[in-house]
Amino acid sequence: MRYIRLILFVLVVLVVMAIPLALVLARTYFLSPTAQPVKAQPIQFPHQVHVQAIGLDCTYCHRNATTSAQATLPALELCMQCHKIIPSQGRPELEKLVAAFQQNQPILWNKVHQLPDHTHFVHSVHLSFGFQCSTCHGDVGAMGKPGVKQVRDLRMGDCITCHQQNGARTDCSVCHY
Amino acid sequence: MRRRDFLKVAATSATGAVLFAGCGRIGDGVPETEFKIAQPVYTPNDWAFGRDAWFATAAPPDQGGYGLIVRVFEGRAKKVDGNPDFPGVLGKSDARAQALVQELYHPDRLAGPQRAATRGSGQFQPISWDSALQGVAQILRDAGGERAVLITTRPSSSQAAIIAAFQRVTGIRHAILEPDELVVLRSAVRRLFGVSTLPIPDLANASFLLNFGAEFLHGWIAPVQLARAYGEFRQGRPGQRGLYYHVGPRLSATAANADRWFPIVPGTEGLIALAIANVLLTEGAVPRDRFAPYFAALGLDEARLTNDYSPERVATTSGLTAEQIRELAHALVEHEPAVVIAGTNAAASTNGLFNLVATLGLNLLLDSLNQPGGLLLNPEPPLPELRIADDAILTQRQWAELFQQIQSGTISTVLVYRANPVYALPPATGAAEALRAAQHVVSFSPFVDETTQLADIVLPDQAWLEQWGLEVPDPGPGFAAVAVRQPVVQPFVDARAFGDVLIQLATQLGQPLPWASQEEATKTLALQLRRLGRGNIQAADDKQFLVTLQAQGGWWDEQSRGSGTVPSSPVVQPREPSFAGDSAQFPYLLVPYPLPSIGYGELAHLPWLQALPEPISTNVWQSWVEVAQRTADELGLSTGDVVRLITPQATVELPVYVNPAGQPGLVAIPFGQGHTALGRYAEGRGVNPLTLVAPENDSDAGTLAWCATRCRIEKTGRRARLARFEGMVPAFQLEEFPIVRVMAPSA
Repeated sequence: MRYIRLILFVLVVLVVMAIPLALVLARTYFLSPTAQPVKAQPIQFPHQVHVQAIGLDCTYCHRNATTSAQATLPALELCMQCHKIIPSQGRPELEKLVAAFQQNQPILWNKVHQLPDHTHFVHSVHLSFGFQCSTCHGDVGAMGKPGVKQVRDLRMGDCITCHQQNGARTDCSVCHY
Repeated sequence: MRRRDFLKVAATSATGAVLFAGCGRIGDGVPETEFKIAQPVYTPNDWAFGRDAWFATAAPPDQGGYGLIVRVFEGRAKKVDGNPDFPGVLGKSDARAQALVQELYHPDRLAGPQRAATRGSGQFQPISWDSALQGVAQILRDAGGERAVLITTRPSSSQAAIIAAFQRVTGIRHAILEPDELVVLRSAVRRLFGVSTLPIPDLANASFLLNFGAEFLHGWIAPVQLARAYGEFRQGRPGQRGLYYHVGPRLSATAANADRWFPIVPGTEGLIALAIANVLLTEGAVPRDRFAPYFAALGLDEARLTNDYSPERVATTSGLTAEQIRELAHALVEHEPAVVIAGTNAAASTNGLFNLVATLGLNLLLDSLNQPGGLLLNPEPPLPELRIADDAILTQRQWAELFQQIQSGTISTVLVYRANPVYALPPATGAAEALRAAQHVVSFSPFVDETTQLADIVLPDQAWLEQWGLEVPDPGPGFAAVAVRQPVVQPFVDARAFGDVLIQLATQLGQPLPWASQEEATKTLALQLRRLGRGNIQAADDKQFLVTLQAQGGWWDEQSRGSGTVPSSPVVQPREPSFAGDSAQFPYLLVPYPLPSIGYGELAHLPWLQALPEPISTNVWQSWVEVAQRTADELGLSTGDVVRLITPQATVELPVYVNPAGQPGLVAIPFGQGHTALGRYAEGRGVNPLTLVAPENDSDAGTLAWCATRCRIEKTGRRARLARFEGMVPAFQLEEFPIVRVMAPSA
């Protein structure tokens, strides 16, 4: 009983110290890419309709994924190859697409998967190794409106773990060059 | 403090710290555009195959105007390289060319036309192109062309054609601002060989190179072309390695490449050349008839050369021994073919023109002019329109006169294109005062530099990678060559090409120029090259010619060579160098030098170049004073000590870099820093040496002699950290691997 006040003090100090630690961990958790809400996009593009309903392959639109570093977005003229015969009247999202094409205005999307600074990522190498798009991007084909959500962390720790698991090099210059 | 209070404070501060840190978002400070991805309307070329595209274009005129190629992906210029087809450079480039992408995507680039809130305030407000052009046209209409002057840096060849046409309709005066050393070099070459283009040493075929101070591997007239040829000179011929002797005051990076460095007193290059000629004459090493043009150029005769310029006499002033001078003379005749070049410091003394005439004239004695392995003269540009008027290039003396006219009101309107006289000329020239006194100042610079700060209206030029143009490389590769510049990306901001603005101004003045745009001027002039009926491009029609020209990056004709004349009357008299300042009060000579990266300061706004170490000291991002080891020992200085550098002109405080290979008695300082404007990467670092040097002129050429000032150094007792690579991590000896052999100086 003699030391009860000291023990109590130490306990309280530990609890007080644990608060910032918990906050830091919470911040890391809530600011992680996968914890972000679905970003608002200029057009609510439903991947679900294009992949699940129509059965398009990812590379039909993201044509450079298998051959180059960037998967690339399709040019609007590719969208319009189909959408010129799909009626857009009364469908506000499609009207935005047609208007952009007719006014020669590129569409500025909000990036969902943000490659960290000073890093190179080459899509074609990863696909050649045998990964599916969904390994990193999740089942995008099932994501409908309002848009795509990031489902995997895809930060340095994630990259290195995956590289180790698959026997890929992990020295700095693999990604930072 | 009570326990309860302590706990409260601890909990509040720790929680607060985390919460405030948590207010930030990932990516704060990154422009919003970086989080966007653009979906283009039509498939770009590079996307069709997923491969990047390379476009041929040209280096800026003040970097030599040679052929470049640029890698472009997703509409962004990513990487600059040399054009593998372009003669002279054959695929090589340098750091300055690589940094062109930083000019294009610079955060401080002016996004559109601006009007100054009040002149000199540095505050600008955006205006529309229409009102900006109307404003400038009104100024020109009111003032009249004869009361206006257009100050430019060296323009591209097609810009020169547009400027000439603009001059014809408006009567405006054109003045070109170039580094003084180039003004002297052009003057020497014109007087000595009768040509207005710069010559190029044929290093690839030479056996011996004698260089009087020219920084030919790190700046000077054509660093890329000459560095590539230097590789051939040293290693291109199996079993034969070119020999290179450097004569100059400072062990620069170029001098450090030499087989031998002959340290001399600055400004004595010409006297040494005369002593070499003396040895060649008295020993009969070269035929006597070759001396006639050399004597004529320098107003000498055999008796005067023999009596006044013996190696023994010159040895007393030059810092070399008579034996060393004889050695240089013997090397010239023992290793044929030999070539002599001179420049940089040699041109910046009070006797700069004499130095260059006497040294370059040695090529006449060696009969190396237009010979393989000698000094190749370049032909005039293939079209007269592409010629840059020689008389527009002003000397220091002429600049002072021009600014006097502006101050007195004879000239009321000043148009400035990419030139920065307020920074690049010494304060005594009066550029800043003149611009403040001028009625109207209009700038075409894409950045707010010291001169643009004094402008009323700014009409920013496009970056070099966004515009059209033709460049005649100066110096060329020894034959006629023209590089074509084409935009490699869509314009990044709302700027307009300088040529376009001149054309639009002329239209507003009711006197349209022959072309509707800079692009049309470029293509029209390029098609005139086709009409010459020679060169590398075989095309059935105009369209095919232009497409081939753009794909190859240029037009050249190896048969069209330069030819010159030899002087028959004196062009300059022998003269000893003089220095400002009393030698008792100012014991050291101040030797400023241009940096291989940021040059004379015109490229100080590009961070890649700021971060490129000066090759000898490895210092970056700042100014420093380079002193020799012996000088440092006498004054008790070590690297990092802050000293007071005092010249008759000014006093500054700078950190010291002790160079073990420095020449005692000399204090060196790099050009390029000391900007008060020109963007976030240039401003407020270091010192501009032009504020330190006395306004001494070369009395023959009229140029500034920036290597003719004495100085002294005082310790301040303070220290500063120098940003540098060398010595940052201590070297240590591995016991089992004696790689680093340490030797005492006395051993």
